[in-house]
Amino acid sequence: MNEEENPKIKKPGLLSLLKPYRTLILLLIILALIANAFTLWLPLLLAQGIDGYYNGENLRQIYTRFAWASAGIFLFTYLQNIAQTYASEIVARDLRNRLSDKISNQSFASVQSITPAKLLTNLTADIDAIKNFVAFAVAQIVISLFLIVGGSYLLISIDWRLGLTVLSILPLIGLAFALIFGKVKTLFTKAREAIDWLNKVINESIIGAALIRVVNSHESEHNKFDDANTDAKNVGISILKLFAALIPIITFLAQFATLIILVLGGRFIIQGSLTLGEFASFNSYVAILIFPVLILGFISNIIAQAQASYERIVDVFTAPEPAGDGTITTPLNGSIQIENVDLLFGEKAALKNVSLKISPGTRVAIIGPTAAGKSQLLNLLVGLLPPTAGHIRYDHHDLSEYKKEELYKQVGLVFQDSIMFNVTLRENIAFNTEVREEDLQKAIRTAELSSYIARLPQGINTIVSERGQSLSGGQKQRIMLARALAINPKILLLDDFTARVDNHTEQKILKNIAENYPDLTLVSVTQKLAAVESYDQIIVLTEGEVIASGKHQELITTSPEYIQIFNSQQSTETL
Amino acid sequence: MKYDLNISKDEHKQSDLFSSAKKMWPLLATEKKVIIIALLATIVHSLLSLAAPRLMAHTIDNYIAVGNFGGVLLFAGIILVLFLLGLAAQYAQIRIMGEVGQRVLFRMRNRIFNKLQELPVAFFNQNKAGDLISRINNDTEKINIFFSQALVQFVGSLFLMTGSAIFLISINARLGGATLAPAIILLVITLLLSPWVKKTNLRSAQTLGSLSSEVQESLNNFKVIIAFNRRDFFKARFQEVNKKNYVASIIAGIANNTFAPIYGLAASAGQLIVLIYGIFLIGNDLFTIGLLISFLMYVNNFYNPLRQLAALWASLQAALASWDRVYEIMNLESDLQILPDSANTEVGGLLVFKDVDFQYSESEKVLHKINLNFERGKTYALVGPTGGGKTTTASLMARLYNPTAGQIYFKGQDIRSLSHEERTNKIGFILQEPILFSGTLRENILYGNTALIKADKQKLEEIINRTGIDKIISRFDEGLDTPLLANGDAVSLGQKQLIAFIRAVLREPELLILDEATANIDTVTEKLLAEIISKLPSSTTKVIIAHRLNTIENADEIYFINAGEVLPAGSKEEALELLLKRNSQS
Repeated sequence: MNEEENPKIKKPGLLSLLKPYRTLILLLIILALIANAFTLWLPLLLAQGIDGYYNGENLRQIYTRFAWASAGIFLFTYLQNIAQTYASEIVARDLRNRLSDKISNQSFASVQSITPAKLLTNLTADIDAIKNFVAFAVAQIVISLFLIVGGSYLLISIDWRLGLTVLSILPLIGLAFALIFGKVKTLFTKAREAIDWLNKVINESIIGAALIRVVNSHESEHNKFDDANTDAKNVGISILKLFAALIPIITFLAQFATLIILVLGGRFIIQGSLTLGEFASFNSYVAILIFPVLILGFISNIIAQAQASYERIVDVFTAPEPAGDGTITTPLNGSIQIENVDLLFGEKAALKNVSLKISPGTRVAIIGPTAAGKSQLLNLLVGLLPPTAGHIRYDHHDLSEYKKEELYKQVGLVFQDSIMFNVTLRENIAFNTEVREEDLQKAIRTAELSSYIARLPQGINTIVSERGQSLSGGQKQRIMLARALAINPKILLLDDFTARVDNHTEQKILKNIAENYPDLTLVSVTQKLAAVESYDQIIVLTEGEVIASGKHQELITTSPEYIQIFNSQQSTETL
Repeated sequence: MKYDLNISKDEHKQSDLFSSAKKMWPLLATEKKVIIIALLATIVHSLLSLAAPRLMAHTIDNYIAVGNFGGVLLFAGIILVLFLLGLAAQYAQIRIMGEVGQRVLFRMRNRIFNKLQELPVAFFNQNKAGDLISRINNDTEKINIFFSQALVQFVGSLFLMTGSAIFLISINARLGGATLAPAIILLVITLLLSPWVKKTNLRSAQTLGSLSSEVQESLNNFKVIIAFNRRDFFKARFQEVNKKNYVASIIAGIANNTFAPIYGLAASAGQLIVLIYGIFLIGNDLFTIGLLISFLMYVNNFYNPLRQLAALWASLQAALASWDRVYEIMNLESDLQILPDSANTEVGGLLVFKDVDFQYSESEKVLHKINLNFERGKTYALVGPTGGGKTTTASLMARLYNPTAGQIYFKGQDIRSLSHEERTNKIGFILQEPILFSGTLRENILYGNTALIKADKQKLEEIINRTGIDKIISRFDEGLDTPLLANGDAVSLGQKQLIAFIRAVLREPELLILDEATANIDTVTEKLLAEIISKLPSSTTKVIIAHRLNTIENADEIYFINAGEVLPAGSKEEALELLLKRNSQS
């Protein structure tokens, strides 16, 4: 039972999870034991009552005891139930909090590789399995063992011959469970997989709802779903078949025990070695004894499920901590050095040997075809992904040497995809809590959001709906920009931010940035050359490699790729 | 247009057991015969289980008491036969009822899924993905637990209990009546407590739904959380919903656990009554000791299933609470019903907007009295400031929503009278946010394209080469067989837009709508896309929403959309002027 005794077990068992709750669990077990001790007492009192009647005793005292015992059962069962609800919920709550702490300290890359969907299952279904274990299994294991031992002792003490004969049924019941559960275990895994698959299909149909309606793929979605649903049904029925066999067999074995009592007990009564009262209580004890055996059998299933869930959760807990935080807290100058950086996704190289130098206060544009690795480069710059090889340095210090908290206060990134939280506009923009009111207002003005916010009935306190459904693409992008500007950054990274903003607003915004944030180092990934022709440096990125860099005037004469892009845009001014 | 599941909940009257069961009935209706057979098996099993103690009592009184062991053996044999018959009946009962449960669950999932498919985009906009997922996963799981584990026991227990009660009364009406008295009190208590228990379970399910939404939102937005140094944001919000769920679950747990101790108390009381009253009756020669022993067994037979019912009752309440949440989805009706064929009107053009108004639920009007006429084979550009209503206009063209007022005609027919299949085949819409499914590039570009999926490979290749799509496909490492992951950063936004573009073009629609569909694609690639579009049949009508001028330059007509109004702009210069004017005003 005690995992500590077995150092070979690498994965901590479920019991280690309960250690911090020792007192509560102990209380739970004590309450359960008291409740069940009372339960065992009842048949004894019944037998005493019947025998006492035959012996002409006064039964009043037995009746009183019976009443007390009943009250005791009621009280302690209720207390036990409250204790186990409390214990299971507190274990679940703490485990969820620990898990969410762990997740929130993970790097972006590891959350992506574990996948948010799996983490959601960890935080809901897996925790539920553990909750079930604490609520139904912990106390029941102790009680069942107690009842089996106690019941067996009482049976044997009343009549050892009869007792031992009846107890010989127990191994048979155990055997039936072992046989069925051996088979059912693989089916349970299959059932879990079937449900996972079903959930995946449902989730995709929710997330892809708009596309499904635009291309009318209801039928193919339904076919996918039908396959998954049929599979789930079939596994369910396979499990059912086994249980449909198991339960009647167990019931029969239990009934068979009462039959043994009738025949053997009857013989002993006829021989005069057993009283009728003893016979009656014997029957009651058998009922008490069989029940915990059944319970143990079914609980073994809860334990197995909880153990599997706990192992999945432990996998998250044991995921490596992100590399230690750096110590540098000095304010940034704004210079960036990228040295021989590679980034691999599996076999595929997203960036190959990229090197760049960016001086403080300069404006740099990164251009290049779709999937050239532009966004990945920005992800590297804020440390969302670690480079596979090479170095990212700010002011000649490696990114990893900086205290992240300080770095994130000085580097603002505007993501390409709109990310909105279901909180107020103010909280969405001043997402970093240390934002000062004046910086917030400056950011809103710079992103040209003032008049939009002024038009809203609740102004800046308007709640943004999940995924920002009520906002247009351009509004979302400007809010994202304001969010990055609100931290008053030293370095601003823009990922194709103007793609959904009209040209005039864009020009205004860029002018605002230049005026309001004059010392800013700006790195802008963009598709539009017109806006960046005056930049200090333009970098042409193709298939993960820097193929040209320099000012517009240089590139237009030296880089064929740049010229190609330039020509493609001769009429690509924007509205 | 009110699809918000969580708004209606306050008005939503808690449905009682019978109305909930009634709502579940359509799922059970086709199983009538099977259920009757299962019930028969249950009755047989219960009768057999009940007869055994009676026979045992007979054996004790008539054979053990007088010392006739031969008679004991004879009756033991008879009882053994009964037990074996009971084994068969119980097997049949569990098997049949269990299969009914699985089939009902199958149908229920099917119905929810079909409902989800039927509901319009507005439904998904108004509800949180996490909450929907929780309703479909966690709530159907609770119903599943009830159906697959509890239902069989429930029916069995009910019969065993009723049978025992009949036996108790038939052996001795007065003693039986007295023994059953506590059960009547139980019935009253149960009926009184049930609504409360269900309510606490509903609350617990709701908090689990918001917990799930919170995780869904935070984890999907994780990069912002990191880049803005707000790991505490996720932590704090999660701890808040977790705490709410914890409190609600404890209350629900205590509510669920209230039944069992009370039922146990009633069982003890029943036994005590039998003991006191039985001994009193024996004293008056109205009862025998053999009957008393079997009576005590019947009391157990009555109260044990009743105790099981107590546990099952809680599981039933939880299932009913979940059922209410699932039913809220099932009960919604899509407002995008297909109208009966409308008479063709004499309005020209392929697609015509006539006095169209639109507003999202409870917000201000997004479009006012819009009139537009898109002619066959022409290219239209929709321009205007962000938030002006361009995407909304495009969504109306594809009938993602119905106009709040006015009509939209496609080929002179009310767009609402076109079947979904017909409409989506003829109107192609490339969404602003591209969606990818995990699978190969081929699977992704053929997604929902029934015609091409069925056609042979050559057909697909022929179309790909004819339209020039091959130049784009060759940019993917393994061509059509390139594996793609739906989540993750390995596929760039621009690539996703390319895929969405091919997906729409392969369908060769009569009307192709591009809603900033190429915003994150570089200008060199964009030229390729323009070429592909130009190779579409000349009758194809194109509607383009974009900021880049070259796409607009080729347009036959330009519409300027701002503040819910549409102005025709003769040329791109005029459009520019309109935009400038708007900007100088604001």
